[in-house]
Amino acid sequence: MIRGIWDREMVALMLLAAVMPMALIWLWYGGTAALSRLLLTLLVAGIWHLLFMLIRAQPPSFAGALTALAVAMLAPVELNLFQLVLGISFGVVMAELVMGGWGRNVLNPATVTLAFLGFGFPAAAWPDLPLPVAWAAIPAALMGMLAGVIPVHILLAGLLTAALALGAGLPVEPILPVAGLVLVLLVADPVASASTRAGGWMNGQLYGALMTLFAMYWEQTSPVQMAVSAALLASLAAPILDEIAIATWLQRRRGRLG
Amino acid sequence: MFGQRNASGFRFPTAPVAVAENVAVVLTDEAAITSMPGEELRVEPLVAEDDLVAQGQPVFRLRAQPRIALTAPISGRVARIELTPGRKLSQLVLFREGEERYSHTRQTRNEVELRSLLQGAGWWRTLRSRPFGRMPAVDERPAAIFIMATDTRPAAPDPQMALAGREDDFAAGLKALSRLTSGTLWLCLPASAGQAAAEGVRQIRCARLHPQGLAGIQIHHWHPARIDAPVWDIHAEDVADLGTLLTTGLLPDTRLISISGEALQEQRLLRCSPGSDLRALVHGLVRPGPHQLLTGPALQGQATHWLGARDRQVSVLPGAATATHRHWFSAALRRAARPLPVIPTAALNQAVGGDIPGVALIRALASGDSETAVRLGALSLLEEDLVLTDYITGAQPAVSWQLRAMLDGIEAEEALT
Repeated sequence: MIRGIWDREMVALMLLAAVMPMALIWLWYGGTAALSRLLLTLLVAGIWHLLFMLIRAQPPSFAGALTALAVAMLAPVELNLFQLVLGISFGVVMAELVMGGWGRNVLNPATVTLAFLGFGFPAAAWPDLPLPVAWAAIPAALMGMLAGVIPVHILLAGLLTAALALGAGLPVEPILPVAGLVLVLLVADPVASASTRAGGWMNGQLYGALMTLFAMYWEQTSPVQMAVSAALLASLAAPILDEIAIATWLQRRRGRLG
Repeated sequence: MFGQRNASGFRFPTAPVAVAENVAVVLTDEAAITSMPGEELRVEPLVAEDDLVAQGQPVFRLRAQPRIALTAPISGRVARIELTPGRKLSQLVLFREGEERYSHTRQTRNEVELRSLLQGAGWWRTLRSRPFGRMPAVDERPAAIFIMATDTRPAAPDPQMALAGREDDFAAGLKALSRLTSGTLWLCLPASAGQAAAEGVRQIRCARLHPQGLAGIQIHHWHPARIDAPVWDIHAEDVADLGTLLTTGLLPDTRLISISGEALQEQRLLRCSPGSDLRALVHGLVRPGPHQLLTGPALQGQATHWLGARDRQVSVLPGAATATHRHWFSAALRRAARPLPVIPTAALNQAVGGDIPGVALIRALASGDSETAVRLGALSLLEEDLVLTDYITGAQPAVSWQLRAMLDGIEAEEALT
């Protein structure tokens, strides 16, 4: 008997490799401040993974680094150390580790962390990401899709919705870079998004529709907060979207097979 | 056509293409009848050790269904008969001796006679009934029969080559099969084959990608099996054998197999008897050094001495299984209290054929949710249909074992009602 390679850690490593363009460009523009933030998030996430390994015999995952990177890039900037550590701990432990580790989580831990920080400390300002970071999301998405670790349909559906909104003349242009970056980094997470093909389409469209809605009606907020909220809602809806997709698939099969 | 859009999978290397006339016949000195993994054959021996038997002669009768016999793959002397407690067949080994062939009666005026011929000639075991993947019961009538004239497993021999020159036998076999069912015969062909349409047979063109050439994927797509409507599947070469049996009364004594694997000097296609001795088959082909002999494809094979009853592949893999000693810390990093979950990837969806929602099926299997698994089509599938998923994801415990455990559970429940 022979065995293939696409186990959990391989997928996590491929995802990490895919987001490298974004991470490097972000570090290039952010300098030492960004680097120290990334080290802090890596450290906190790493400690929790280690604790769960020692206490619960739950193997750590490279996906923890993915969470740390997303949090470091997107978390509000003016938070003090205690607030940041609290937020990451909440996200990593409650959204991922207590569920049994990466692969058994329902929501993306980074999304939960960011939503927690955003709603918990509303006074802190959201980061203003440099435009090249958003451009770097394109090679990241391509690499992820090529390796098959980023769901293609979610990205395509998100892009389609953005194109429709632009075509309809809706005011979505200012939020597009951040929306695209969050789409690749948080929404197109293979675990916390819809797993069926039709479900993926609906998931991406839901995210795009929410972003359009927020861009039109949610005033006085940062695009990052809109994107994180939309990602959270889209991720929460993923299981029901999968259910709908499977129900329609079964319906079609019944119609065809009698 | 439906579903061709969803027909996805992987491209694997195929068996070496040899001209049909050049396929060597390798007759080994020993051959055996063994039970397949998970198969429970409670038998009553019809011969004793040291008896001389002819090829095709019944040597066992099933205790529960005495009309079904198992027959000798070669003519020779019975070396030993090994039964485990409960008179379950472990193995019967034969030493080649003589050229005797056992001739079966060819009276098949009605379905009862046809069935008793097939059951008495040991041919019945080449049929497989889904759900559950057992040999069908004596009087079971399937809702459909799938004839697999394509095989996409890595390095599998091409069934079209096995059928070359045996078209008449194949047609006779199809005709006989159609008498066993009131349902449809489905003939699964490779996309490239230019076979003429046989009457009363629906043809399916299967993509070249694995797992599209597996019976389970096609059955799931075209005619799902239900507990009250079983679906049979059979290899096309066995159908041609059936035709030969009906026209001559003799059961063919060889089948086309491929020998492949990384521990070989060269891949080979050859004809040999069922239950052949694997070591004799690969003699002179293996590179020096330790190796493992598997019956079946490398994805699923079982380490054993004998070619399995249903197998048409022998895999020779380098190296012997040795225990590795790891540091406790690295073991803690790798070994979980609970097995690691499977991450949904594009590869996973391709590995289940592109149509079945693979992630939902794996989750249903892992959580023991048999209702959902049945809804998603688990009753049409067997272990062999999910070994590619196991290969791709390295899932622990293997998804195919989980499916087998669930099918066994459903079968036990059904037996109670």
